[in-house]
Amino acid sequence: MATATVTARRGPSVIARIGRFLDRYLLLIYTGLAVLYLMLPVIVIAVFSFNDPAGRTNFTWQAFTLDSWLEPFKIAGLGDSVFVSLVLALGSTLVATALGTLIAIGLARYQFRGRAATNFFIFLPMATPEIVLGASLLTLYVSIGSPPFFPLGFVTLLIAHIMFNISYVVVTVRARLAGFPIHLEEAAMDLGATPWTTFWKVTFPLILPGVTAAALLAFSLSIDDFVITYFTGGTTTQTFPMFIYAKNRIGIPPEVNVIGTAIFVVAVGLVALSVLVQRRRLGR
Amino acid sequence: MRFLRQHRGLVPYLLLAPGILWLLLFYVAPGIVMLGSSFWEGSLERGYAFSLENYTNYTNALSRFQPHFVRSIEYAGIATLLTLLIAYPLAYGIAFRGGRFKNLLLFMVIAPFFTSFLLRTISWQIILGDQGIVLGPIKEAGLLDNNFAIISTPFAVIAGITYNFLPFMTLPIYVSLEKIDIRLIEAAQDLYASRSNAFRRITLPLSLPGVFAGSLLTFIPAMGDFVNAELLGNPQTTMIGNVIQNQFLTQNNYPTASAISFLLMAGILIAVAVYARLLGTEELTSGGV
Amino acid sequence: MSDQEPLQQPIPRRQFLAGASLAGFAAFLAACGTQGTQSQPPTAGPPATSGPPATTGPTAAPTPPPSPSAELNFANWTFYLDPDPEDETKFTTLEDFRAEFGTQVNYQEVIDDNDSFMGTIQPQLQAGQDTGWDIIVVTDWMAARIIRLGWAEQMDLGNMPNVTANLQDAYKGVSWDSTDDHHVPWQSGMTGLGFDRESTGDLTSVRELFDLKYRGQIDYLTEMRDTIGLTMLHLGADPAAATRADCDAAIAEITRVQNEGMNANFRGNAYARDLTRGDVVLSMAWSGDMVAALPDNPNLGFAVPSEGGMLWTDNCIIPKGAQNKYTAELMIDYVYRPEVAARIAAYVNYITPVKGAAEILIASDPEMANNPLIFPPEDVLARLHIFVGLSEDDEAYFDEQFATVLGL
Repeated sequence: MATATVTARRGPSVIARIGRFLDRYLLLIYTGLAVLYLMLPVIVIAVFSFNDPAGRTNFTWQAFTLDSWLEPFKIAGLGDSVFVSLVLALGSTLVATALGTLIAIGLARYQFRGRAATNFFIFLPMATPEIVLGASLLTLYVSIGSPPFFPLGFVTLLIAHIMFNISYVVVTVRARLAGFPIHLEEAAMDLGATPWTTFWKVTFPLILPGVTAAALLAFSLSIDDFVITYFTGGTTTQTFPMFIYAKNRIGIPPEVNVIGTAIFVVAVGLVALSVLVQRRRLGR
Repeated sequence: MRFLRQHRGLVPYLLLAPGILWLLLFYVAPGIVMLGSSFWEGSLERGYAFSLENYTNYTNALSRFQPHFVRSIEYAGIATLLTLLIAYPLAYGIAFRGGRFKNLLLFMVIAPFFTSFLLRTISWQIILGDQGIVLGPIKEAGLLDNNFAIISTPFAVIAGITYNFLPFMTLPIYVSLEKIDIRLIEAAQDLYASRSNAFRRITLPLSLPGVFAGSLLTFIPAMGDFVNAELLGNPQTTMIGNVIQNQFLTQNNYPTASAISFLLMAGILIAVAVYARLLGTEELTSGGV
Repeated sequence: MSDQEPLQQPIPRRQFLAGASLAGFAAFLAACGTQGTQSQPPTAGPPATSGPPATTGPTAAPTPPPSPSAELNFANWTFYLDPDPEDETKFTTLEDFRAEFGTQVNYQEVIDDNDSFMGTIQPQLQAGQDTGWDIIVVTDWMAARIIRLGWAEQMDLGNMPNVTANLQDAYKGVSWDSTDDHHVPWQSGMTGLGFDRESTGDLTSVRELFDLKYRGQIDYLTEMRDTIGLTMLHLGADPAAATRADCDAAIAEITRVQNEGMNANFRGNAYARDLTRGDVVLSMAWSGDMVAALPDNPNLGFAVPSEGGMLWTDNCIIPKGAQNKYTAELMIDYVYRPEVAARIAAYVNYITPVKGAAEILIASDPEMANNPLIFPPEDVLARLHIFVGLSEDDEAYFDEQFATVLGL
């Protein structure tokens, strides 16, 4: 009496089940883990902003306090550095977005001699390590004779920030310009609009999302920039990252964590807001 | 206005002019000045003299800092590889399994970068510290020797670089993956290709432009990085970026510093030029894919 | 706690107007009359002005006493001045200074490192322009270099009576400032051993810094003079007479111990943070930092090794081309008032160069004044060494050699 080897087909084996589960969800689990990994330092920063360190170094959890959140600018120099960072970012964003958008339009719409070279040229600053960008600017500033045209300070910083932002703006706007409905412009002009009117009434609104994205990118690049600022800022002008760097020698006070977390929350909030607005507008 | 209409051909140049001028003044000119200063000899106090014979600045820099150049290539290379290994599945997951949450997930990949890059790196110091959140409890449990450290090792530096450049690798790969027409994959499977085969022959090659873009966007800045090495490393892990920083800002040794910077930049430009040739320059500013 | 200068009697309005008009008239006459080098009338004027009376000799033209400027730019290291306990964004000393002299002090704690700070102002100094700073605080060897290169303003000690009266004798007559008026000491400190008592016990010898049992848990300093100085003491040499041979020997010793697996890190101020966090248990350390870090880690200790330690001084220097030189002199003189110096010392925990500060500290906080870190006893002071002043070439040599152990 041989044991029946023909067994009724049972459901998939455990291994197969695990396999299928993994297959369906592995990637999602992995994505979740990866996002967690990316967020981990941010979470630590946020958590430690509520810490009440006994001394100067903020590295072990001691006590919960809202003091840092209530009065973040108590630390000398913190408020000024944040202000400088904001003004710098605003200024460089405005100029870089303007310059970059013009270039993007030129590159996207027109065929002209030197187009390929210009493409390459615009890409170069993005391909250059920040340290080389900062160092070469420093060399320039230092070489210009006396009295120096560029004493290291806010102006030198602004120039540097605009410079590195332009390329990113061009790339971002150009990505949005691909597939631009040029026939709309032609239609407008057929209907008698001048190029100027056409630009402001037809072109600009259509590229506005791209320009906004580019501006946001430029703003965040500028606010967070460290290396180039380190080289071209001199010592009298401190941006927020420079402030952090200086404070790190002794210990980052929780107020810095507060500002860092606040910037994060504000940025996330703004993006969420813009998404909501877009959803509303598209009637979804 | 009529002028513009009559000289249609000028319009692109006029559009380009302000931005290009800015870049010429503040990207190209400094580069030229730095090239010049790399042929100086002297000191800030004694003054500098230009001479083409000072090409020795380059040869001396190469020989003196060769370990640093090599180490930078090593660390940046390993970090780029690691980033690729982590980012590819991530991008794949978002592109093919993200569904409705694609944009949200993408956003969460970028979101950490709204916090200061410095703060995040310093945060790793705290997380990986010898008595920190991770190692402290493990050591107290007796599972690890008290001397064991993650901070101040090459591992920490590479981990830091990997972390910091993860989005730069993820986004381009995502963009190129997302562009893939899913019907191609379905067709392949209809033709009896296994899942892995379909991946290997359809998805992977089509995603290569994104991989290349991401790799460049990771490797190049990583080569010049000094913050990770400074905050997470030790004297044996210094990269060429640390040397440049030290030579420029502490030693004020502009000739050597310029020479080193130029060596770094030249090497990278060659790589970029090769890349540009391979893919055609149009790709570079049209989204990097 | 501020004294009233004799010239600051509040003057009734009518008298003031009378005096001012007389003075103005005198000035007008003076301006019309002779060389016309004066633009400001000498005046016994409003309470905010202070300073020494105009020096006039029988033949010299009358020099008007300058008035403090509206702004002063002061660069310093972190935690080197006393914050107002009520409002951490302000510093008591600076607030008091403003109340007395009307000057808004732009105080920036931007100096982390002598070399890196110097690197940022050197180009301007070289080109002969204003660096943007009126007072900077640098360690003695950097001060020596600045003075040697002619980049320090010569201070008018006539404007600084407190400095003249209260500077402790030990600080006078340094070889690198022959006239003693290009620098004024700010604080002094000692370099020795900083350690976590719980892990290492109480350490007393510099030999510990080179003991491999601390492998992976030790910091050295990026300050070349401190690290090489302590290493020389370990090798039995005297840092006050360091030669290139000594440098080579010290570098060789550090390299040897690193090659044997010590894995020491080189830090600036950050060593204190490492000690506090437990990333290291032993480090070359600066005296004030250990006291300041006690709230974070009560097990921290500092000791000047039995073989000896380093003594250094951070000094105020007015860079050449500073726009507010007179006010800078006033500021420096202000912190030499014993009560001000005492209050600063109580916060920064370094050795104050001001006579009389000790007595005031004892009166207000007996514990503080007997602290051997702030007021080291004679026997400790006796075994502290000041690193020799190096010539430019020697300095370049030492720096270059040291850069190799820094990995740069």
